[in-house]
Amino acid sequence: MLKLAGIFAGYGGADVVHDINLTLEKGENLAIIGPNGCGKTTLLKVIAGLLPFRGTVEFDGICASAMKPRARAAYVAMLGQISPVYFSYTVYDAVMMGRYLHNQGLLGIPSRADKDFVETCLATVNLADVRHRGLGTLSGGQLQRVFLARTLAQDPQIILLDEPTNHLDLKFQFELIDYLKNWAAEQNRTIVGVLHDISLAMRLSSNVMLMKEGRTAALGRADQVLDGKMLQDVYEVDVAGVMRETLAIWENLA
Amino acid sequence: MKHKIIISAAIALVILLLAVAIGSIFVHPWEIVRIILHRTLGLGCVEDISNANNAIIWNLRLPRVLLAFLVGAMLSVSGAIMQSVLRNPLASSFTLGVSSGASLGAALVLFTGLAFLPMMTLPVAGFAMGMATMVFAITLASRIDGMMENNTIILMGMVISMFINAVTTLLMALNREGVQRLIFWQLGSFSMQNWMPVVLLAPILLVGILVTLRYNRELDIMTFGEDNARTMGVNLRLVKWALLLIAAGLTGSAIAFVGIIGFIDLVAPHTVRRLFGSRHIVVIPLSAIFGGSLMVVADLVARTITPPNELPVGVVTALIGAPFFAYIYFVGRRRANA
Repeated sequence: MLKLAGIFAGYGGADVVHDINLTLEKGENLAIIGPNGCGKTTLLKVIAGLLPFRGTVEFDGICASAMKPRARAAYVAMLGQISPVYFSYTVYDAVMMGRYLHNQGLLGIPSRADKDFVETCLATVNLADVRHRGLGTLSGGQLQRVFLARTLAQDPQIILLDEPTNHLDLKFQFELIDYLKNWAAEQNRTIVGVLHDISLAMRLSSNVMLMKEGRTAALGRADQVLDGKMLQDVYEVDVAGVMRETLAIWENLA
Repeated sequence: MKHKIIISAAIALVILLLAVAIGSIFVHPWEIVRIILHRTLGLGCVEDISNANNAIIWNLRLPRVLLAFLVGAMLSVSGAIMQSVLRNPLASSFTLGVSSGASLGAALVLFTGLAFLPMMTLPVAGFAMGMATMVFAITLASRIDGMMENNTIILMGMVISMFINAVTTLLMALNREGVQRLIFWQLGSFSMQNWMPVVLLAPILLVGILVTLRYNRELDIMTFGEDNARTMGVNLRLVKWALLLIAAGLTGSAIAFVGIIGFIDLVAPHTVRRLFGSRHIVVIPLSAIFGGSLMVVADLVARTITPPNELPVGVVTALIGAPFFAYIYFVGRRRANA
């Protein structure tokens, strides 16, 4: 499904990620973790086609660099942090935009199939009731669900997550990850997620890639490739210890 | 949504008719309709209408009002495109140097007495220099920044604008005798016009609107940001070039004939978005209708409020436009949030 080989990329001539190799099968999820500045987002941008790179990115064996924007968008979509809305659209119109690449009509008037698809996406994220509201009137959690529905409407093979849970309450964070996991499981699709929060990352996938200074520090099933020593080494803090302390606080509350 | 466009078009028609009727002499709207039908389709008989009225309507007021409408519509559609493409509510073709380039073109023609085409030297020079300036700004921006980010484009446009304005000012300082005419041109006016610009601009506006509508979804998507648009499958580089060229072409050809008239391109699209939502399939045609009508009203005020003198129409657009804009912006916002 997705293959990265010998990826180098960065900004203004300086490489931020070095020699990344990765293969994901259809239906397989991956959580990318690592401290700030380790190159997680840069790597996502390479996969999404937002950044020039050296090396190869392939979708189903097709070289991504040779793909037209629409063809590429049929493979890979991206859900980022909540982006500011400059001009207000209704929830429905915003989600319909996700159908862009599937509708080649001259004026892009939505087809019956597009409308049905959008309805399904709205229902999936529980937004059907607010479909006619303006984006400007929504809460942060609702707004991010609109963007999620739009990403689902794009119907891609892979969804890239770039810290989509930032600025969301705990409840919405879990909700968002669960929506996505269900979607991937039901449709046999792939999610590659960069998540700040390690426990949230583990909730998304037990398949992890740990990055340090632009390189792969560990790749595989979390219980097999990660250990306390390694996390402490990469994050420069005793991650497991902090987690245990936090847990103790909650247990005292209970 | 369709009926909103039809109602707006009907209101615009009434405004057009009234604007033709009102002036130093009032001509009954029904007489105007009859004159138009007679002149265009050869229908009916106009022998009971005085020759003077007939001439005033057909030779003076009608072309003037239609030209005002076309220019207003072109500037507004151009403004709507720029605001969405550059994702900046204050952006316009003027930001990218179209008006400073056109001014320099006009200055060169006025100061050198150059005349390579009868009647058309000034408009052609203005249009060519305006377009060239913008294309130069965007080309330079895309050389510096392969992804053509908005900020690079806006910054480059402003730098080049300022440089060209300085050149124009330098020319003005060196040619004091032509300064008056250049300033008059820069203020913008619809006086002393005939049918020629109307016939030239109408097809440009029509093609501009149709091509822009072709990209209505891309415009919608681009307001959410460039990375977003790319990952959703928009061929950003191509679409951006196409839309920026259309916007500059519309502004360039409009101001080439009537001089620089600001504010309409900012006010009209914003008002339309407040009242009718942000979807460009609606915003583009309604911006044309609303911007055109607004310009017709502004020109009506400019030519009737201080007879026999005329005010520069650019002053009037700003005087009417600014408070109206404030009203729509704040009232519309309150309603949208209710």
